[in-house]
Amino acid sequence: MQLSVRKAQPDGPYGTRRLLPFKINRRKLTETLTAYTFLAPYLFVLIVFTLIAIVTALTLSFFYVDFGFTAPIFYGFRNYLNIWYDLTHDGDFAVGLRNCVEYTIGVVTLQTILALFLALLLNQRVRGRSFFRTIFYLPAMTSSVAISLIFYWLYQPQGGINYVLSLLHIQGPAWLENPSTALPAIMLLNIWTTAPTFMLMYLAALQDIPSTLYEAARVDGANSWQMLWKITVPLLRPTTFAVVALGSIGAFQMFDQAFVMEGASGAPLRSTLTAAMVIYDTAFQKSLMGLACAQAFVLFIIIFAVTLLQKRYIDVNIQY
Amino acid sequence: MSTIGGLARAEKAPLPAVAISLRRRPPLPVQPGRILLYIVLIGYGLFSLAPFLFAFSSSFKTYAQVLSWPPSLLPSPATLDNYRFILSGSQLFPRYILNSIIYAGAVTILNVLLASMAGYAFGRMEFPGKNLFYLLTLAVLMIPTQLILIPKFLVAYTLGLTDNYGGLIVPAMVTPTSVFLMTQFLKTLPRELEEAALIDGCSRFRAFWQIIFPLVRPAVTVVALLSFQGAWNEFLWPLIVMSHQENYTLTVGLAFFKGNYVTQYNLVLAGAMISIAPLVIIFFIFQRYFIQGLATSGLAGR
Repeated sequence: MQLSVRKAQPDGPYGTRRLLPFKINRRKLTETLTAYTFLAPYLFVLIVFTLIAIVTALTLSFFYVDFGFTAPIFYGFRNYLNIWYDLTHDGDFAVGLRNCVEYTIGVVTLQTILALFLALLLNQRVRGRSFFRTIFYLPAMTSSVAISLIFYWLYQPQGGINYVLSLLHIQGPAWLENPSTALPAIMLLNIWTTAPTFMLMYLAALQDIPSTLYEAARVDGANSWQMLWKITVPLLRPTTFAVVALGSIGAFQMFDQAFVMEGASGAPLRSTLTAAMVIYDTAFQKSLMGLACAQAFVLFIIIFAVTLLQKRYIDVNIQY
Repeated sequence: MSTIGGLARAEKAPLPAVAISLRRRPPLPVQPGRILLYIVLIGYGLFSLAPFLFAFSSSFKTYAQVLSWPPSLLPSPATLDNYRFILSGSQLFPRYILNSIIYAGAVTILNVLLASMAGYAFGRMEFPGKNLFYLLTLAVLMIPTQLILIPKFLVAYTLGLTDNYGGLIVPAMVTPTSVFLMTQFLKTLPRELEEAALIDGCSRFRAFWQIIFPLVRPAVTVVALLSFQGAWNEFLWPLIVMSHQENYTLTVGLAFFKGNYVTQYNLVLAGAMISIAPLVIIFFIFQRYFIQGLATSGLAGR
């Protein structure tokens, strides 16, 4: 009985049922091989230049690597002890990190507020919105080097910015030569160039907020100020987290602007020296690759910790 | 589209006579608030444009004029000497421009091609390891470039990719950002597109090349623009990888040019303009795609 039932089932077109699982496997195999052929160039770049690089960075941070002269020597934690000594004795890396923290706090706070403000303006019913959006975005798409050169000129004691200030009867400082104004000058420049990018992110998020919420609030007698603080800002929290996190990751790694405007040493008096500039100097001027990897890893840990803190305090789920 | 402000204003706006949807109101009457809004918008627009316009006009000034106080808005007489000097044989600028064009051009073409291939596999195929590698792609997007800079250089050095175009192009030929954008786009295309062809015995390669690739134009535009912009503006990597001056890209060449001609702002500005101009032109032609791409990727902060 059972045998005949089994025989009654239809067979595959090319033979018995026993062949079927094998056929599926072969098709799967072809599909997998094809997929990996498509992915091959990307996986090469991802694995070689990113994943292997990360592992190498960690490994090298425990070695003395005198690039191109001698073979790497195992160094244990000496690179990290070296950094600890630097940090406790006001070394370059300590100064660089301190400048980065100051810079990040200033830039991220102001650029987030500016980005939200601009996005709220453009989210109104305005004529020529895409025109304004394009114009506002212009500083964000040009090269950091070219922008730094333009501002290097504008920030001169006899430059354009001091001229505008002189029209308001303000005596502008020698922005880039004064240790107390050099870093703030670069901060202002960077806020101006990166805020428009984050404005676009806010604009996209604003358009996702359901208008029914505002309608309901209006029925309840809320004014537009209350709606901004009770509806818009809380609902934008996930976007704010992205804006603050991406902004901090970028700001902590600032290099181009200070390097172009103030030179590799972070003049005046190391006031514009950043962690990235110290890492560059350690690796490519002093040829201490291992120490530079350890510095990069310390910077990474700081950025990672900051991102986690921001996630904890900004990206809070809001229920309505 | 207009949410907060639109509704806030609706309190004051006269009710439309005909019952139409709240979103389609007749043009609003002139109100002080709206005038203020336009003043702020135009003000910030000028604030964004002014440094570029002033620098552009000053790149035609003579050395004496660019140093004069008070600074003049327009050059008189306007001279092309700054550009002539920069583009003459005495400087390596023509070479820097050529290097940047080769670098950015190759990176753009390769990203479009290789990222759409990778996106096709991630977005439209099933295979073991897919989720792992896609998750890695997303994770890598958040990793600070500083962390891997030195080992990336050492890897490039080992592979003989320093001080040549390969060193610039190979590590950037297909970026996680491009793959992410392509995958997200390819996922949205209906599966039936190539299904019939595949059943008829068409290979995956032909299906990709003849059916899918012609359909990814919107994503191609976004990936091409972002790749070009990224490579054209990149500074740190070319600075590290290139050692001979004739191999510098425009950004690196400009930074060193500024070091040599510190106070000759007229020359420095002309150089900056040469670096900015191609992107500004491309940007104004394709600005819609730029903004669309940034809004979907949300990762432009680099």
